[in-house]
Parts: sequence; structure tokens; C-alpha cells
Amino acid sequence: MTHGIKTLAFAAMVLLGTSAAMAQSAGTWMVKGGVNRIDPKVKSDDLSAPSLPNSQVDVKSATAAILTLGYMLTDEASLEFYAGLPYKHDIVGAGALSNAGKLGTVKQVSPTLFAQYRFLPAASVWRPYVGIGLTYAHFYGEEGSGTLTSLTNPGGPPTKMSVDSAFGLSPQLGVSFQINDQWYVDGSVIKTFLKNKTTLSTGQSIETKLDPVSTNLSVGYRF
Amino acid sequence: MKRIRFLALATVTSLLLAACGGGGDGDQSPRVHYTAMVSFGDSLSDVGTYNVSTIAAVGGGKYTVNGATAKNWTERIAAQIGTSAPCAAQTGLNSIIPQIPAVAVVNHAGCYGYAQGGARVTNPVGPANVNAYPADPSGALGQLTDPVINQITRHLTAVGGSFSGTELVTVMAGGNDVFSNLGIVNATVAAATAAPGATPTSIAAAAQAAGTAAVTAMGTAGGELAAYIKTQIVAKGATHVVVVNLPDVSQTPLGYSQSVATQGLIQLMSSTFNSQLAVGLGNTAGVLQVDAFTQGQDQVAHPTQYGLTNVTVPACDLTVTILASSLVCSGNTLIAGDVSHYQFADTVHPTPYGYQLLAQFVAKRMTDAGWL
Repeated sequence: MTHGIKTLAFAAMVLLGTSAAMAQSAGTWMVKGGVNRIDPKVKSDDLSAPSLPNSQVDVKSATAAILTLGYMLTDEASLEFYAGLPYKHDIVGAGALSNAGKLGTVKQVSPTLFAQYRFLPAASVWRPYVGIGLTYAHFYGEEGSGTLTSLTNPGGPPTKMSVDSAFGLSPQLGVSFQINDQWYVDGSVIKTFLKNKTTLSTGQSIETKLDPVSTNLSVGYRF
Repeated sequence: MKRIRFLALATVTSLLLAACGGGGDGDQSPRVHYTAMVSFGDSLSDVGTYNVSTIAAVGGGKYTVNGATAKNWTERIAAQIGTSAPCAAQTGLNSIIPQIPAVAVVNHAGCYGYAQGGARVTNPVGPANVNAYPADPSGALGQLTDPVINQITRHLTAVGGSFSGTELVTVMAGGNDVFSNLGIVNATVAAATAAPGATPTSIAAAAQAAGTAAVTAMGTAGGELAAYIKTQIVAKGATHVVVVNLPDVSQTPLGYSQSVATQGLIQLMSSTFNSQLAVGLGNTAGVLQVDAFTQGQDQVAHPTQYGLTNVTVPACDLTVTILASSLVCSGNTLIAGDVSHYQFADTVHPTPYGYQLLAQFVAKRMTDAGWL
């Protein structure tokens, strides 16, 4: 029985390509995949004239797969690049438009490069970390709706939206849990300070602070 | 290294994919499927009852700055809900003006734009009706002014006695009851002034009595309109009835041309009509009340917010139009300057932009109610 377990463990080590390197030590590459939920905490200005007073918007949360690639510069400092599949957010009315419902949708990707500092020794099972990232939020694929047209130019051609892309700073708090020398589980919470402007084909524009909170959980592999 | 390359490739690919694709229209269909729009009311909803004779020849026909793209609020709402462009259910003109030959009255099957310029709620003789001539000189134009109650009856007759329940019905009236009742007040005061032995006291008493009667008459008209909507529209099967109340008629170029006292009377006539309309309708299911009175006042108070550049002066040069009405106004008969964002086309009717603002407010209320 004991012999069997040893054999199995050896086979697993071979399959996983175990090396002698310690987990999350200098020179380690890390990739991970998981899911991330982006929940915008919107503070909306008013839609510019001509419009009903107090016309505002809110942006709903969205979830998508993420992929990250990291590299340990030292045993503590790392660089990690977050990317992933696109998010699709609903844009809904707020303020005077709070009963209007969905005004449209927008897609975005927000690649972020983090500089991170990891606490505790490299081989620790639990390793909390802090990071600061630079995010480029790229918005695209905006879709209007009959509601948006109704509110801005009823009976006219469909009103289109254009959402500006923007850079933002993203502080991060996270922790990784080592399963074995290669596999680990990682979770983090990221706040992004992001402000942008949306322009309508009818001429009005609206400024919004999106300031989303992102929460993610991933499975990682290092080598 | 293969794994790194693969994942890096996947990441870059997702970013490149994201860079493709542009904006779109999205789903433009309304939340309720309507099969038709049926409009009752007056000039504010009229889509061309008098688009005949010389009026058509000079490029008029609607009560606004007429033109190829000029739409009133009902036409905009019809386009937004995806029903066909509304057409006048009845056309014709009983003119006795030589330059504007009379045209026989014709009913148009399948056209549900019943609203007529000059129409009142119940009284068949509204402004510019030939039966008001010569006391009302404008009566020479011979507008048909079929009142709202008759409009509803004609529709019920045309469709077999009931609504299908899939129509969007719009009702907006009351302005012509203001004008007709104001005419009575003015005539009463003029008579009291001309009476033998008239004193300021006797004139003031006559004016007071006439004003009170006018306000009472407006309240009666508002109550009647509410009753028609409940018993002749909702009770006959309509499920989506938009009732737009009467804008503040004192806040029009016509109102501004009156004395302060008369402006106050006009405002009270407007608000009394609206309050009786609202009380009468209560919370009737299937009725959406739109407060154009309050909204219009907000537009006058904050014109810039609504993109309005002028809320007091008519965009039409009424000294060059063949009648002192936007019914015969077009791009050829405007005052100098950019009037595209003026509120008023003539002394009471909106420009196409003014109608757009009204349509936007109606659409906003319909959106709130899940009707659009």
C-alpha cells in the first residue's frame, strides 16, 4: 500500500513536471485562469442638455473568465498581467430615469498590469499580497435600445452610444493558497478608479465615475 | 514554455477580438406590441385634417413649422411604437374665405388620426368654425372642429363598436375650450363696458362673473373628457390610453399678450380643466396621465436644460402667412435668424422641436410605465 502511494506520488511529480524550485520564489512564472466579477460603483453626472433634469445612468455588474501571467522578480515582488474574455454590462437609467430600465449594453476589456508585494516566505501555504495596477478599460460594442431612442429622439433614427475608453489605477488585495509546488488557488479584490464619458448620437453626453470593484477567484500553475 | 506561449496567445487573441466590432442600434422594439395608434384631440395632435385647398398649396397642413420632416408629437410616438404613420381620419374645410376655397368633408377608412384643429371636448363649435362667424372672425376659415366626443363615436362606429385592446390611444384636448370661453369673457366685458351707465364697478363685477363662469366651464369640460375616456374608450376595450393634460396656456405668446389679470385667469382655466380631468380619471386602469402642464412650466423656467433658445416669440412670421396661424407656416415664412430651437411656431402651437420635447416627455412617462 505504502509502495503504491509512493509510486503514484512519483508519477504525479513526473506528470506535473516538478522541479526543485520553491513556490513563488524569484524567477518563477505563474499563470492562472479563473472568473472575475466587475461591479461598477457608479456616480453619474446628469445627461447634458437637452434632457430631462437629473437624467442619470447606472452600469450593472458583469462576470467573465480571466487569464493572468505573472513573474516573480524577487521572492516578494512580482509583476502580473491580467487579461481575459470581454465583459458585457447593462446600462440602465438612474435619477429621473430610474424607472426607464435598460438603456443599452456595452462590452469592455480592461487589461491591467500589477506590481505586487507578497508577504510571508515563498514556500508558505498562504501568501497574502498587495498590488497596484494600471488598468486600460477599453469599451466597445455599444448597443442602444428602443428605450434610449424613446428618451432622446422618439420616432427618430435609433440613438447610438459611444463610450470613451480610459486609464485607471487599480489597488489590489489578494491571497494565494498553495496546493502543491505547482498548483495554487488565488483570490483578490481590486478597486479601479475610472472616470469616463459617454456620448449619444443625439448630441448629449454624460460623465460617470465607474470606480468598479472586481472580485476574482482563479486556479494557478507555476513553473 | 509551450504553455506560456499558448496562454499568452489566448490572452492577446481575446484583446484583439475585443478591439473589433462597433456600436449598434440594439433592440429598438417597444416593450408592448401595438397594432395601431388612435388619436383624439385638437390641433396639437392633428396630422392634417385641413391639409387641403390653399393650405396644402402653401405647404401647410399641420399646426407647426410645416416641412418634409416636421412631425407633431403623435407622429413621433407612432414612429417609435412602430405603427404606420398616422393619417387624418377626416379631411375638409368649410371655408368662406375666397382665397381658400372650401373642400368637401371626406372620411378616410383606416386612418385613425381623429384630432382636429379647433376641436373642443364636447361643444361642436370651436375656434375658426364657420358657425362661430362673424362673432369670431376666424370662423371664416371653416375648421370642422368635430369635438372629442364625436371623434370617439366615429372611431367606434368605424371599428365595430369596440377597441381591440392592442391600440395605443392618445387623448389631448382642452385648449380650444380655453379659447372659446376666453372669447365669451372678452365679449361679456366688452358688452359691460359699452352698456349705458357702465361704471368701473359694474365692469369689474361683469368681468368677475364672466371669469368665474369660464373657470367653471373649464372644470366641466375636464370632467366630461375624463368621463368619455372611461366610458367610451377604456370601457370599450382600450388598454393603453395616454392622456396628456393641457399645457399652461398662459405661458404662450397668446397668454403673454394679455393683461396680467387675464393671464392669471387663463392659467386658472387651464389648471381647473386639468384637475377635473385628473380627478375624473383617478387611477383608471389602462390610462396613463401625462402632466404636460407641469412639464411645460419647467421648460419655460429652464429653457437651456431643454435646448430651447426662445420660449416667448413665434418662429413663424405671422404677418406674411396667409392666415395668422402656423397651419399655413412653413420654412418659407419664418422670422429672421435660427428658430430651430424655438418653443412656439405661432401664438399657441409648438415648433417641431417643441413637439419633440413633448414627445420625449410622453415617451419618458410611457417608458416608466413599461408601455414603450
